[in-house]
Amino acid sequence: MSSSHTAVAEPDVQRHLDLPGTLVEDWHDKAVKRLGELVDSRRGLRVFLDTCTKCGACTDKCHYFLGTADPKNMPVARQDLLRSVYRRYYTLAGRWFPWLVGARNLDKALLQDWYNYFYQCSECRRCTVFCPKGIDTSEVTMAGREILASIGLGQQYSQEIITKVNRIGNNLGMKAPALANVLENLEEDILEDTGVAVKLPLDDPDADMLVVTPSADFFAEPHVDGLIGYAKVLHQASIRWTFSSEASEAANFALFTGQHDHMRDIALRIRTAAVKLNVSRLVIGECGHAWRVAYSFLDPLVGPMKFLESAHPRAQHICELTHELLEAGLITLDASRNAGKVVTYHDSCNVARGAGMGNKEGGQLTIPRELLAASVPVVVEMSNDTTGQRTFCCGGGGGMLTDDLLDVRIKGALPRAQALRAVVQTDQVTHLVAICAICKTQLSAVLPHHDLSDVQVTSLHHLVGDALVLT
Amino acid sequence: MRGCPSQPVVSDVLAGVLFALAVYWAVGATVYRMVVWARTASPLPIPITPAPRTRLGVAGRLALEVFAFRSLARANATTWIASLLFHYGLLLVMIMHLRFAVSELPLALLPFIRFSGWALLAMISGLVVLLLRRVLVDRVRYLSSPSDYLHLVLLMVTGLTGALIKRVWPTDLFDVGMFLRGAVTLRWQPMPEGLVVLIHIGLATLLLLIFPISKLVHGVGILFSPTLNQRER
Repeated sequence: MSSSHTAVAEPDVQRHLDLPGTLVEDWHDKAVKRLGELVDSRRGLRVFLDTCTKCGACTDKCHYFLGTADPKNMPVARQDLLRSVYRRYYTLAGRWFPWLVGARNLDKALLQDWYNYFYQCSECRRCTVFCPKGIDTSEVTMAGREILASIGLGQQYSQEIITKVNRIGNNLGMKAPALANVLENLEEDILEDTGVAVKLPLDDPDADMLVVTPSADFFAEPHVDGLIGYAKVLHQASIRWTFSSEASEAANFALFTGQHDHMRDIALRIRTAAVKLNVSRLVIGECGHAWRVAYSFLDPLVGPMKFLESAHPRAQHICELTHELLEAGLITLDASRNAGKVVTYHDSCNVARGAGMGNKEGGQLTIPRELLAASVPVVVEMSNDTTGQRTFCCGGGGGMLTDDLLDVRIKGALPRAQALRAVVQTDQVTHLVAICAICKTQLSAVLPHHDLSDVQVTSLHHLVGDALVLT
Repeated sequence: MRGCPSQPVVSDVLAGVLFALAVYWAVGATVYRMVVWARTASPLPIPITPAPRTRLGVAGRLALEVFAFRSLARANATTWIASLLFHYGLLLVMIMHLRFAVSELPLALLPFIRFSGWALLAMISGLVVLLLRRVLVDRVRYLSSPSDYLHLVLLMVTGLTGALIKRVWPTDLFDVGMFLRGAVTLRWQPMPEGLVVLIHIGLATLLLLIFPISKLVHGVGILFSPTLNQRER
């Protein structure tokens, strides 16, 4: 029996988000009511709760089940935690014959299970790929978390991050002067390294392009090397671009908690900054769920963004941009500069299953690989039931990237680690490449626990930046 | 004796009413479920990507799921084959049952009669595998509630009684058709003769009653699944 001991959100964090500070007295009735409201307002949730036939196709597909062997981590079992209550209170069979159909009353023990198991799902949607009805456990998890937060049981990690974005502008609470300082230091580093004065502009009103990137890119390893790569590419292509201190975060943690209104508020910061800076292009850095939000939800939430130029009417991924520049011959990559590295590519779940890229179906799978192939001489693929649309989540996404969940994160990374080990053994892979800030942090932290500390987790644009012919 | 129908007695009328109600309920309640799904908003696009970008593409994707159980094929070979056998067996058997909609056997159904035995065999053997799996595979047993086993048993016994009618205790299918058509059109007819027939019709009635309020609605529900029916934009 595995446990998610992720801390419950502190009262003032909850209250900042207009939520109850602690578990409310009438939590049962409120939770049941909120469940009904969510089912009434989200077709996916309703259909997914109604159409499961318990076929078990999903059961052995979730990395947390594979890593913990806890049956409640089977996607269908996780959904049933919510579905059993939905049936009990909102369906004929559940009201009259609960024992027959597995309908349950929402008691304290089940509530505890909700908290425990909805924070052992990284909302990666792998289960959906194998479900004959396309049931998306992540939608159930998001609803479960939303209900928990609405009765006072939010998660400290995610809720605190959301308040930081609201108060300061990014997940890390990094204020504008600190950000400016970091960027200046990076400019110096690049000049020292390459002899080229690559700039990292902040709040430049003359810029044509706004780049929004996960805040981890500004200082964490290996993320910051990716950031340096973006700057080099943009410099070489002579694009006038800028970061924004008000939209200094691409990530949108309200996606994880199913709080649509908060998700909209956070997304709005990006739109507001883009309008204020009068840009005609919007580019998102290497971040998984941020890309899903930007690709799929920006327009429904805060669009349409008519101020963007007609050639690029929606947010682009930095990989898309670099790929475009490469195809147009505006930048040149020399893979021999990365000779000696044997790399393999990890598809991040939100990119692979939650978004597209470029104008081609499946571009999110091919574009990064084409960039990689142009930047590194030897690229190896992990087993194809662990990559592409079937990619195994890194184990740290969806609000799980907190220390108090480290045990579950290590176990959840098992399938990815096994696939990686196979190519380390057959092809002597030295680098694991990812385009998601969470994947980079998570994999760097947990791979050593799987005896894979010799593999370096690397940003794609680090390799691109190193291969780039920079003048 | 055909051509000289006896007058229906109370038990015949009751049986007819029950069957008719079950049919109207099955249709009406299923339509209601579909309306509720259709009217529930889908605030954010959540197709599972890569996804088709055109409506035609999405239709194709759904067709692959509905007719070939594509995602199930990715997931588990045994379940996929058993499921195909059961569902296509059931489909063919149901097509055969269309004979009861009219008093004379439509010529179009003749080819299906040849394969009706195989269809029934496929349906029952698929169900047997699915039931065995549900009992024997730990993961699947864990997630099953009583109704999950009962659905399979119900379908199986209905199929088996159908097989018994076909092979062991044949009945006058004309009388069966008269009873069923009569019930649905509220012109009560005597029940057909034979215990097995009555059990079979009783089980079918039960299936009709539970269809709209159970997981059996997945048949139509899948069409409303946003991960499959939304296109990427």
